[in-house]
Amino acid sequence: MTHPLRSRPGDVAAGGVPRSGRPEPTAAPSGRTGGPRRRRTWTWPSAGAFAVFVLPTLTVFTAMVLAPILWTLYIGMTDERATRPNTSFVGLDNYGFLLGDEEFRHSLWNTVVITVIVVLLTNLLGLAIALLLRRQGRLYSLLRGVYFTPVILSAVVVSVIGRAILADDGLLNSTLVSLGVKSPPGWLTDPSYAIYSVSGIMVWQLLGFAVVVYLAGLAGIPAELDEAASLDGAGPWQQFRAITWPMLAPALTINTVMLMISAFKVYDQIAVLTNGGPGTDGTATVAFEVIRTAFSEQRPGVASAMAGIMLVVVSIASVTTLKLLQRREVNL
Amino acid sequence: MNSRTPWVRPLLATGVAAVFCLPLYVALVNAFKTSAKVVGSPLALPVPPTLDNIEQVLQRPDGLFWYGLVNSVILTTLSILITTVLAAMSAYHLVRSGRWWSRAVLGVMLTGLMIPPAVIMLPITRILNAIGLMHTMPGAVLVNVGYYLPFAVFVFMGFIRSIPRELEEAAAVDGAGRIRIFWQVVFPLLRPASASVLIFLGVWVWNDFLTPLLVLGPGAGNTVTVGIFRSIGPYQQDFGAVFAFMLLATLPVLAFYLAFQKHFVRGLTGGATKG
Amino acid sequence: MGKRANWVAMAAALGLVGLTGCAVGGGSEGGDGNSSGGDVTLSLLTFETPNLTASYWDDIIARTSAKVPGVKIKKLVAPSAEQRNEYARQLDSTGALPDIMVAIDPAGLAEGGKLAQFSKKELADWVSPTANSFNGKIYQLPTNSQTWQIYYRKAAFEKAGITTPPKKWDDLLAAVGKLKAAGIKPFVIGGGAPDGLGPRWTFSQLVADEVYAKDPKWLDKLVEGKTDFSDPLFVNAATKMKALAGKENVDNLSATYAQAQEAFLAGKGAMYPMGSWFPAAPDKAQQKQIGVFPMPTQDGSLVVPTYTGGGLSVGAKSPHVAKAKKWAIEFSKLNADGGARYDGLFVALKGYKPPSGLPPLYNTTLDLYNRAQSSGTVTPSFGNEGGVPALPSGFIPKVDAALNDLLNGRADVGKFVATLNKQFKELSK
Repeated sequence: MTHPLRSRPGDVAAGGVPRSGRPEPTAAPSGRTGGPRRRRTWTWPSAGAFAVFVLPTLTVFTAMVLAPILWTLYIGMTDERATRPNTSFVGLDNYGFLLGDEEFRHSLWNTVVITVIVVLLTNLLGLAIALLLRRQGRLYSLLRGVYFTPVILSAVVVSVIGRAILADDGLLNSTLVSLGVKSPPGWLTDPSYAIYSVSGIMVWQLLGFAVVVYLAGLAGIPAELDEAASLDGAGPWQQFRAITWPMLAPALTINTVMLMISAFKVYDQIAVLTNGGPGTDGTATVAFEVIRTAFSEQRPGVASAMAGIMLVVVSIASVTTLKLLQRREVNL
Repeated sequence: MNSRTPWVRPLLATGVAAVFCLPLYVALVNAFKTSAKVVGSPLALPVPPTLDNIEQVLQRPDGLFWYGLVNSVILTTLSILITTVLAAMSAYHLVRSGRWWSRAVLGVMLTGLMIPPAVIMLPITRILNAIGLMHTMPGAVLVNVGYYLPFAVFVFMGFIRSIPRELEEAAAVDGAGRIRIFWQVVFPLLRPASASVLIFLGVWVWNDFLTPLLVLGPGAGNTVTVGIFRSIGPYQQDFGAVFAFMLLATLPVLAFYLAFQKHFVRGLTGGATKG
Repeated sequence: MGKRANWVAMAAALGLVGLTGCAVGGGSEGGDGNSSGGDVTLSLLTFETPNLTASYWDDIIARTSAKVPGVKIKKLVAPSAEQRNEYARQLDSTGALPDIMVAIDPAGLAEGGKLAQFSKKELADWVSPTANSFNGKIYQLPTNSQTWQIYYRKAAFEKAGITTPPKKWDDLLAAVGKLKAAGIKPFVIGGGAPDGLGPRWTFSQLVADEVYAKDPKWLDKLVEGKTDFSDPLFVNAATKMKALAGKENVDNLSATYAQAQEAFLAGKGAMYPMGSWFPAAPDKAQQKQIGVFPMPTQDGSLVVPTYTGGGLSVGAKSPHVAKAKKWAIEFSKLNADGGARYDGLFVALKGYKPPSGLPPLYNTTLDLYNRAQSSGTVTPSFGNEGGVPALPSGFIPKVDAALNDLLNGRADVGKFVATLNKQFKELSK
């Protein structure tokens, strides 16, 4: 999930260089390809090779991703819905309707709130915990494993646990009651708390991801840099500002983009925790609204226009963030 | 947190992790308690532990767990194997040919990395209906393969760039065809990348909810992850049984993760260092 | 992973594709497990509630299949009772409408030609075969009637000094005041996520009094565009709703349906506005502690909202419509006693006599219904009108959410009405 966004020509990247001591068949691959020597002995001109190697991938991708994207954009410009016998082309009418629709704007707002909380809080806590765990030893590698466990759990599992804890009569409230709190809040059922509870559950699940990425970033900081800084009399905070934080720029990029994409597509958590409530769109996100409107309310036209807006928002947000952070990496 | 107080960091680290762990602890211990104890003392250790919840899940009359398990295993295995093979082949070609259309293919696939699945689900169901694969296992596999291919292709491409061409050229001189060269020379070299792709996709496909919910549908049975959702109606007060279901549904993916853990973390952190 | 392992894996994968053209079937099989040559498998969409448990369904499915040879049932369960209508439509959207469905609102599906029509002959055994008519066509078996009223805790009324259940609106408000003065929460309603439908069981009673009793053709006017939700009649109902059940008067507005029911049975709150299926829930001792009265009206007249229908529907595109219908009709007859006992249904079969030993509260509720039919007014129930004219498909979940906002104080009556108008307009397009 990380490398594709960061692979640049010549990057080692990806699955990582085979570092194990196992002997490779012959010459172990070196980190980078050789210089720009031209190779004439062996080229890839033929359409036949393309057909064998790339065409299957391209076909499946086109059928399951590319064509659906285009088709969504088309359906979004029709008035298709289950109760209407004939569908006609209506141009951008659905988009106009949605932009003026309080319910949809609210779901857009919910998506933004969740994304901002997830990106900021997960990064912040992830960094703090990574700094705390930046030591060798059995205890620390065990703790790393602890933080990482929720990452490999299904969002459904995590949400069910969250629901068991945060429900009105859940474990948290029954604990609060036994501590003498008279009427503890409805974490998932009170409109003023629910969106934060959902975000909090996501932060909890994704935290381990951020921790591991930051730890890898920290591991890449040469020890000499820190030593030199402390010899110069820099305190921990100055050291962090001058060395650690700039050196963590790539880790910040990965985390931010990944968290953003995860937050934008949140559906499972909403379906399990609140079903979009409480009330009108207490926690409904755009992804949730798209599915509900398309499949349960059977209004494909409007739903696809929502999807179109989502596509635009996601593309702009992730490309802009990626570019900004990568430029920052270069400048640092 | 300096050398004068060496115990502060381990203590703090453990304390924070313990709080973080609490939800996992709650889910785990309550899977081994009777309902009364789940409600009465949710935080207590399960003494004595009961296997009733586990048995209840395994012996559900509707077979929700077992059907789900079989479907999850089939769906995950097929999806990740096919994706890995297709992605490795096309990444190899795209890197080695270096033509303008490879870059075009690449640019198009980049878009696929950020698309929320919900956004394209409706047309996907229509395409599957049109080709007769809606509500079938091959249909769900196809959706997964298409959706995860961009990720896998990019992982393989980054890796293939680091492999020298000499081996392939030597094999070509010996008269081997491209397909043979790929399978006999290149693909074995891609082992670490393949492992990363397999583990990531394995976890994602196993945990996926929306695609199996809609594409596999109710008639064909569903995956364990959807089974969890099914087993928690709003009237489900018996959290012990739900936790037991989740534990059983998670065990396979947990074992898979532990077996390939090294590749997972390596794949995750491949780009996290500066340089 | 070595080269050979890869080939083996690929071969295994291809083999699996070949073997598993379809996924492993889920769901339990009703009836006898022997599949002989002529058997067909039909899918049945059910839902589970505190009253209707998984084993209840398995039992009635098995009993029905025993009477309809050659049919095997594959039970599908909606994720929740309240979401069953949405779920059925979701299945329809993906091309998988079940063969048989229990208590699915036909609106939208019927007009779209998705449901099979029942003939007069097939409906001959029911009391009101034309309930739920879509321009004379019937898509759902009219198997039972349900009514809505207020259940109350006798001890709470006594403690607050209320001697007889209120009959007029002002008496009800006075009772609410007395209960609050005695430190008792007047209402248990529920309405929290994820189901969120509690408040409508109160609101439909107020709409019955204020709208349908005064203008039986109100829904026709609404659908024809001659009125909308800012109609004074409807605004009256919404205003009363807010006055009666604002959050200060309700035990726990964010409780789910199941939690609310549990809370009321556990003695929290004095009044529980609910459907006639509630009497199936209290145990023997609780039956005596709970009474029932109709929602008080302005002038004290007797108005009870009712709904007849609620039975099974059959998908028009089912490959075995005839067998599915046969099964559905058989199910409905066999389910009569169980429906009365376990779900408090007023069975609408001709000549049906409820079995003895039904809960006392069932009988008092049924008496109330009979009294309303003979000497009061029986109206449609808002959100469960049945047939055409109909509220647009998908509108009722929006009403539930908007009601929640109204009671929580996130919306006032003006905003509530405006939301409904907007949603109605959009969904009726």
